Amino acid sequence: MQPRKPPQNQSLTAIDGALALIILLLIIQMWLLSAAMEAFLAGHRETALPAGIVSGVIFLFCLGLYGFVRRLDAEARRRR
Amino acid sequence: MFGLEFYVDPSRCIGCQACLKACEECETHRGYSMINFDFIDRRETTATAAYVCWHCDDPTCAEVCPADAIKKGEDGVVHSSLKPRCIACSNCVMACPFGIPKMMIPEQQMMKCDMCYDRTSAGKRPMCATVCPSQALAYVMPEEIARRREKPANTFYFGKQQVTTKVYLMMPAGQESLSIDVLDYIWEG
Amino acid sequence: MKLFRPADADPLWRDEFSIFKGEERYVNRRQLTKFLTLTSLAMFTGNVWIAIRAWFHKDPVYPIRAVAGLDEIPVGGVKIFDYPAANHPCILVRTGPDSYAAYSQICTHLSCAVFYSRDQNHLECPCHKGYFSVHDGSVIQGPPPRPLARVVLERRGGELVATGILQG
Repeated sequence: MQPRKPPQNQSLTAIDGALALIILLLIIQMWLLSAAMEAFLAGHRETALPAGIVSGVIFLFCLGLYGFVRRLDAEARRRR
Repeated sequence: MFGLEFYVDPSRCIGCQACLKACEECETHRGYSMINFDFIDRRETTATAAYVCWHCDDPTCAEVCPADAIKKGEDGVVHSSLKPRCIACSNCVMACPFGIPKMMIPEQQMMKCDMCYDRTSAGKRPMCATVCPSQALAYVMPEEIARRREKPANTFYFGKQQVTTKVYLMMPAGQESLSIDVLDYIWEG
Repeated sequence: MKLFRPADADPLWRDEFSIFKGEERYVNRRQLTKFLTLTSLAMFTGNVWIAIRAWFHKDPVYPIRAVAGLDEIPVGGVKIFDYPAANHPCILVRTGPDSYAAYSQICTHLSCAVFYSRDQNHLECPCHKGYFSVHDGSVIQGPPPRPLARVVLERRGGELVATGILQG
């Protein structure tokens, strides 16, 4: 087995930034879910579909940021 | 760390066991020495050799630990087992090609040399290197070692497996690595 | 998750339980990011569920029930009745000689029974002093968040008939 080398600290800041962004998006998504639920229960059923689409977009953003973190992580550890 | 490296030269060992006594003084393992001290062939010769942990680049002990208790730091020092995690399974004791880890039965924990990390991280020398009168165990700058006749090597071969270490073994000039075949040393008596 | 790892990479347990101290921070951050992404997925699923329910929602069919005669109550008088079922009390108010209004009696704040205050000509909830307009059920003051549900009335042959409920 080839000896593995320990990682550096450069990518940590970028990962921290991505993490902060994800947390922000999550807060927005949380509010969106609660607002959509309240509107639906109050009878405004037309808001449900746009809210679902926006929530999906936010989730895709989070997924992209997760992939970004994984790529930084792999590079830092020189897995490839 | 700080540019200093650890060099082991068994040919300089005079068997005074000062390293054993010095190592024993550490508070975390008082009374137990982490030096592996060998009488080479006591019947034939008075030659001795003292070894510390070789702090391998890819530590076998850490790789086989089932409790993830052995960690290698960023400076290359392989630390002794973490007390909360070690389950005293002796996997590392059996796996280490150099036979370094010691299993402390009463404490139910593996202990081994960690190059006196509390000292080396502050720029001091490990206890054993500080007291060795012949400097068989030396913790110095590479320039100082270059003045010796023997040359440092840190590559070992166990059969087909290559092990590179942080601690250097002083070898005759020209010999880049040491091949160790366990069968050579099994006593057929 | 094996799908998302390249074939030549180390197995996942080697990354998650790394022997290098320096990798700890990376592992923690990556695990947290994974968890947050899953939470995002869960919330998206919640929104999808709401959207599905909205899509398949059918407007309820209300029974047609006679409530009162045209001259059963005087001007400014009220009648309490149940519509569409016994668990849903409603209030009928004769606001003028020829005008009637009927609303659900359940206050939209905390479901107390509203009553008609003739002096101030509005529907009032005694619990937390919420006032509703008798003309359209909207909130005049107080804690209620939504207007009162309105009972749709029709005159059929000298009778007032309830045909449906409009939510606020």
